[in-house]
Amino acid sequence: MSLSFSASRRLGAFAYEAALEANEEIVVLFGHSGAGKSITLQMIAGLLRPDSGRIAIDGVPAFDSANRIDLPPQRRNVGYVVQDLALFPHMTVAENVAFGLPRSSLQRSRVAGLLDLLQLKELERRRPPSLSGGQQQRVALARALARDTRLLLLDEPFSALDESLRAGLRRELLRLRQELGLTILFVTHDLREAHLLADRLAVFDAGHILQFEDRETVFRKPLSRRVAELTGVANIFAANTIATSPDAVAVEVNGLGLNCALPSSPPSPGRAVDIAIRSERVNLRRGRTSESEENLLEARIVEEFAYGATHTLRLEPAGPGPAIEVEIAARPYEVLGVARQRNWLVELPREHLHVMPGNQPSGPPIA
Amino acid sequence: MNRPAVIERGAMTTVIALTLVFGLFFVLPFAGLVERAIEDGNTFDLWRTEQVRDALFLSFWTSTLSVALAILFGTPVAYVLARSRFRGKALIDALVDLPIVLPPTVAGVALLTAFGRRGLIGQPLDNWTGLTLGFSTTAVVMAQTLVSAPFYVRAAKGGIEAIDPQLERVAYTLGASRVRTFFRVVAPQARPSLIAGIILSWSRAMGELGATLIFAGNLQGKTQTMPLAIIQAFEGSSLGLSGAVALSLILLIVALVALVIFRALAGRAAPPI
Repeated sequence: MSLSFSASRRLGAFAYEAALEANEEIVVLFGHSGAGKSITLQMIAGLLRPDSGRIAIDGVPAFDSANRIDLPPQRRNVGYVVQDLALFPHMTVAENVAFGLPRSSLQRSRVAGLLDLLQLKELERRRPPSLSGGQQQRVALARALARDTRLLLLDEPFSALDESLRAGLRRELLRLRQELGLTILFVTHDLREAHLLADRLAVFDAGHILQFEDRETVFRKPLSRRVAELTGVANIFAANTIATSPDAVAVEVNGLGLNCALPSSPPSPGRAVDIAIRSERVNLRRGRTSESEENLLEARIVEEFAYGATHTLRLEPAGPGPAIEVEIAARPYEVLGVARQRNWLVELPREHLHVMPGNQPSGPPIA
Repeated sequence: MNRPAVIERGAMTTVIALTLVFGLFFVLPFAGLVERAIEDGNTFDLWRTEQVRDALFLSFWTSTLSVALAILFGTPVAYVLARSRFRGKALIDALVDLPIVLPPTVAGVALLTAFGRRGLIGQPLDNWTGLTLGFSTTAVVMAQTLVSAPFYVRAAKGGIEAIDPQLERVAYTLGASRVRTFFRVVAPQARPSLIAGIILSWSRAMGELGATLIFAGNLQGKTQTMPLAIIQAFEGSSLGLSGAVALSLILLIVALVALVIFRALAGRAAPPI
């Protein structure tokens, strides 16, 4: 099952224009609410008509403004699951799952198969309002898969659930993709969820896709300051390029010299750039091992947040250099004795210092 | 300090007292009716007169037909009003409600000016086909539909509005047509509201007097429904007040029995949610 999508639409002051494709993988559409993620799914499902564009499912055009093709949602055969699930409350679990199937002798066995697949066998005569959130979720998935659908559109399906339930359902989804060879478009604004599920990640902002690449690239090498902000990079510094060598870019941040990993298109000396490093990639050290070590600065912990599994520290530099946020797991936090020591040597490893084009507007603040 | 408890008890006493007074106000008129009917003793003789049988029969089937028309034409209107947004929707909403707030006599005059022999539509219709609508059984149904259908549309619209539109959108992606989605997803969930609307509009049609009197007249066997027969009896036919009492009681009993039976049937067919 493959999907190719490109569409544009004006909605009042909001201009939407995006293109992506997916092929037997999970593509996560990530961004704030109102960024255009849900609209994308609605256009693919046939519930919202683009002004122009082309949508093809397995090579068959479902929408093509140039050739005046616009299949109704009934004929697109995509599974669409929304945040509040939209289960039919007056029907049993089995009736919900069978809703999309034509009445036939096959219907019974198909429903039974789906109930087995999603472990709903014991619940088939119950009605949705009497089920738990996780059970309802599985009913919605079974119903969406009933018509032998290979393309699933999931619009924040887990966001109404407890964290403990979500973990199980994410595993379930990964299993289904594996067993059924599904193509899944998954909308979320939850970074952890996006990272866990995504084969590829499309970062949405204000109706456009800022970056659409495999998960690791988006998280480690954001294309722009805005992508870095959206994907939760805590440390983004404005910097000036000093020199470019075959194995590094030397920059200066608040009077501190740093060597960064070489990007695919290195900036020329004098150019303004933005430098990004994720807070979990920063090292805390007690002292230098040699004078030739690079990318070190002395800093003092000024703020600290304990999240249980991790601690987030904010450090102010003693000399030149930027303020730094560091995330450290609970165990190393204890072993290092961070609670008792406030002054540290902060190391920004060169391979994790990512150079982006500079002087870009940053978006609205990230909540 | 047990003052809050005292206040609680005082509030409770007030609520009970108000309920009792209000309840009495509603029960006493019916008690009076029953007492008078028993005293007179000819209620059940009247049941057998042709005039009463005609009026009761006419009331029953015209009201039922009016409700059927309200369902047929009113359900799509209710759906559109519940689901779509367009310029001037507030105006349409107000127009649908208009017959509810207007005195039925105004509705009767309005019908006469539109469909009467000299009316806007009535005159050309009379000239071309020789058909007259006024003072016929058709006029009775028209008058009842006009004043009772808004109650059904109102209730149906409210019921449909309460259903999450996402259910319909998801049903479309599951291959269900709009019509199938309405009958399998929307209607079953709106059922309590639809039933309430049917009961309201049927009751309103059964009680219709003003519009019918003006537009359809008071012709026994043709346009004389029960409320018209009661008025006639009251205003000094051979039957007199005791006749009006008897007719009122008969109408009351028949309507009550019909509603109880309908509710039981509709309730049994509904799935437990």
